[in-house]
Amino acid sequence: MAFQEKTISLPSALDREWVEKTFGPLEGFNGGDLILDFSQTMRIDSAALCAIRILDKMYKDRGRKLVLRNIAASFLSTLGAAPEPAPAVSKEDFSFHGPLIRAGDRLIAAKETIVHALSVLVEMIYWGTLGILKKQDFRRGILGEQMFQLGYKALGIVALLSFLIGMVLALQAAIQLKTFGAGVFLGPLIGITMVREMGPLLTAIILAGRTGSATTAEIGTMGVGEELDALKTMGINPIQFVVVPKFWAISLTMPVLSICGTVAGIIGGWCIGIFYLDLSSSLYWGQLWQYLFFRDVVAGFIKSVIFSWLIIWIGAFYGFRVRGGAEGVGRETTASVVACIFIIIIADALFSFVI
Amino acid sequence: MTSSIIAQVRNLSVQYGTKHVLSDISTSIVQSEIRVILGASGCGKTTLLKAMVGLLKPVAGSIRLFDTEINDQDDPATVEVLKKVGVLFQNCALLGSLTIEDNISLPLQMHTDLPLQVIKEIVSYKLAQVKLTDAGPLLPSELSGGMRKRAALARALVLDPPLLFCDEPSAGLDPVTAAGLDRLLITLRESLGITIVVVTHELHSIESIADNISFLYDGSLFFEGPFTEARKLTGGPVYDFFTRQESNQPLHDETRQDHFVETYQ
Repeated sequence: MAFQEKTISLPSALDREWVEKTFGPLEGFNGGDLILDFSQTMRIDSAALCAIRILDKMYKDRGRKLVLRNIAASFLSTLGAAPEPAPAVSKEDFSFHGPLIRAGDRLIAAKETIVHALSVLVEMIYWGTLGILKKQDFRRGILGEQMFQLGYKALGIVALLSFLIGMVLALQAAIQLKTFGAGVFLGPLIGITMVREMGPLLTAIILAGRTGSATTAEIGTMGVGEELDALKTMGINPIQFVVVPKFWAISLTMPVLSICGTVAGIIGGWCIGIFYLDLSSSLYWGQLWQYLFFRDVVAGFIKSVIFSWLIIWIGAFYGFRVRGGAEGVGRETTASVVACIFIIIIADALFSFVI
Repeated sequence: MTSSIIAQVRNLSVQYGTKHVLSDISTSIVQSEIRVILGASGCGKTTLLKAMVGLLKPVAGSIRLFDTEINDQDDPATVEVLKKVGVLFQNCALLGSLTIEDNISLPLQMHTDLPLQVIKEIVSYKLAQVKLTDAGPLLPSELSGGMRKRAALARALVLDPPLLFCDEPSAGLDPVTAAGLDRLLITLRESLGITIVVVTHELHSIESIADNISFLYDGSLFFEGPFTEARKLTGGPVYDFFTRQESNQPLHDETRQDHFVETYQ
């Protein structure tokens, strides 16, 4: 059966509006050749130009012809001169080997991530300790500045949240202890929990959100703005210049913050003991000192130091990973906080078995 | 008189992932020369500059500055050489958290034991040299693009490096400021004998400062020689570049036009 050809007389302005109205029906035209009559056409825009090119290709694929009748030489040259768009090539390989290749790619990417993370850790520890004897790539007064930023400015929020958590913990415990007439043990319960677990953990989580994210964002922004490259070309080690002062500042301030948080939490528990359980103050503190041992304090201290290193390491690692401008900074900062909290909680769980 | 070679690039190839950006580039830059690396956008000029200062690791070839092989940034020899090199980045790369004074004094604080008083004096001198006397206490974000560029140049020059790399120094500047920057580069070469490598595609800049040019085309070194020789060429990409003509497009576009003409007219 012979297909019927169709002739369409085009309007004077061949523009986006024409494409919106006409492209669908022309695309779906299942007859014979399509003749587009340009005799009225005075103007053609990019949308129309691209639509005609698509139709041309589509009709050719169907074994039909798109005829451009009475087309002005200038339109014809515009149509012909427009560069051929690059073919869209799918990166996905759906062949039998596809999944294997993808799995291999992911394995290689994971290996590279681990190697990069470890290299940041090693460099941070080396340039923060032995490397300082060789070379000191940081500004005068930067340690004090960082301690103020990372430590002092976080003190209020750490103390307040720890106080509230101490109160909540004590309230929940008090209800149970009161049932068994064991309210006198509130002091040791809150004390040991805060000293060994909640003090360091809560401080670490707050600092992960505060310092970890700030570190990632700062390093990431420096990377995007070529500031890290500038440091390198000045012979300045970016890890020592940016990360090491933060490493020392957080190592020194985190245990102090952790102690402050712990004390605030214990005071929160004391408030509940006094006002809810009607305990005497001396009983609360007396029981607390009786059951709290030096090893508990050491455990809390070690945890807080290790957590501080994790925060700065993860923050720096994600900062150096930033690619692709402001969006990249935001993405890696979010990832950094999530990873930081996740790893801190895992580390805390492991510590609970070890120390 | 033979001039000593300050920078030497041999068979340099650089890749981003699987994409070849530079292929088999070899060149030598002699003392007190102003070498302009030019070419169309995306031809690999900035990549070449970054590779020369050790920011990009080549897949093949070598770079020697002051007769020392440029390796990883952790290599002590490379770090020592980099102290003799100033780099002016395309987007300035001033540290956003530091004032202009602190930015400029940073290399002095890191690499010298000069008294603070002397460091401050040097910073003032460098700021005056780039005509930014009052900008010292300001943050980079408080300066205009041209001022930032000059502040970055002051930082690049603060250790009086014998070799200066400039990545598009006059990009985004008004013609007067750009010409001032060009004059400053020429003065630095004449007064201090600095070797300068400039990446640019600003014709005015090239005409006023270049001794020799290295013309990159599609990641390869297409032409190298005195600027005056380059201007004598009467065809090819270098000629097209200087006469502000678009190089001939690949043949498939012509073929496509022919196809339309043949089919429909």
